[in-house]
This record gives sequence, C-alpha cells and structure tokens, in this order.
Amino acid sequence: MLFFRSEELVDDWCRAQGVPKRPLVSLGQLWQLAVAWYESRLSPTARRPGPDEMRAIFARIGLEGPFWDPQSDRFG
Amino acid sequence: MDFDTGVKLAVYRHIAATARTPTVDEVAESVRATPREVLEAYERLYRNRVLVLESDGATIRMAPPFSGVETQHRVRIGDKEYFANCAWDALGVSAALHAPAEVLSRCEQSREPIHLRVREDGPDPEPCVIHFAVPAALWWKDIVHT
Repeated sequence: MLFFRSEELVDDWCRAQGVPKRPLVSLGQLWQLAVAWYESRLSPTARRPGPDEMRAIFARIGLEGPFWDPQSDRFG
Repeated sequence: MDFDTGVKLAVYRHIAATARTPTVDEVAESVRATPREVLEAYERLYRNRVLVLESDGATIRMAPPFSGVETQHRVRIGDKEYFANCAWDALGVSAALHAPAEVLSRCEQSREPIHLRVREDGPDPEPCVIHFAVPAALWWKDIVHT
C-alpha cells in the first residue's frame, strides 16, 4: 500500500511497473482502516478480524467487491 | 492471559517504548521465560499472522503496524520515530498508540515527500491517494511485498 500525490501519478507508476491498476483508497478511508485494524493492537484482548469481520469493515467504509474479499478466489 | 499473548504484548510494549524491536532475550526477561520458549511462541504468533519473522526465526521483521527494518514510512510521535510497513500501517502506528503523529513518507511515482499531520481523529486533509496493489485474499501470501 503506497502513497501517491494523484491518480495520474498512480497511472504513471502502474505503466512504469507493468502492474495492473487496482483500487484507490482516500486518506479518510485509510484512517478508518488503520483504526479498525490497530486501535486495540496493544490490548490483551486484541485479535485479528476474521473474514466476515473484514468484509464488514471494508463495506462500512465503502470498499466492496472481490478485491476486498479475503476469501475471494478471483485473485488466486 | 495465555503465554503467547504475553509474548505478543511484551514485543509491542517494547516497540512502543523504544521505537525498535526487542531481542529474544529482552522478551524472555520481560515474560520470565527462556529464550527457547519465546522462540516457540514466535513461531505460533507467525502462524497466526501476528508477527512476521526473518529467516532466523528470532528477528522480528514486522509487528504490524511496526516495521523491524527501516522503510520509507516514518512516523514521529513525541521524541520517537517509528518505521511502518506501508501507507496503511503508517496511520496504524498513530491508531495503535492512540497518539497524534507526523507521518513522513513519499509519493511512490514522483518521489515528492508526503508529510501528514495525524490528530486523534485522523489525518489533516492532504492531496494524496493510496494504491492497494494486492487483493485482500493474497495479502499474506507475501506480506512483505504487500
């Protein structure tokens, strides 16, 4: 997961690297992901979200589709 | 609290306090166990996707969101500077430590510095986007690349 100044620079990078362009996430969405994943990381009760929880977290912040499905077989 | 959770917390608390990953001996002393017991816990924590280890099985490469090696994503909190594994983890350091932060990173294409001020309710607006190159189903296939 890398930062870019603009979507145009993502396009340039994907062309230069020969890799497909994949979903872009906004800074606000990234913060929500960071909080969902890490805010309890130093707690004794912290645990990784399971697949259903991951899907729910992604959906809540507008990230849906097979790319965000931790059990999708469309990217195997 | 089970032993593995104790080891995990010892690792994370050491990183939080010092901005560097602990040695096996430091963790062993913290949890009052032998280095061998800590290494066995490391292996289980790796299998459970809690820690990522170097090939020696003893050196911590990642304790997400923290990186055990220098990266392009630096996170300043107070007088400490942490390294994060990726853009997500750069904000994750602030979220994990519940502290405002300065994120110093770069645009991967233009190499222009990107400086984010992260407050307790999130980062100040800044023109940037984040590209996720690897689908969620494959993140742990090669987590260092991801």
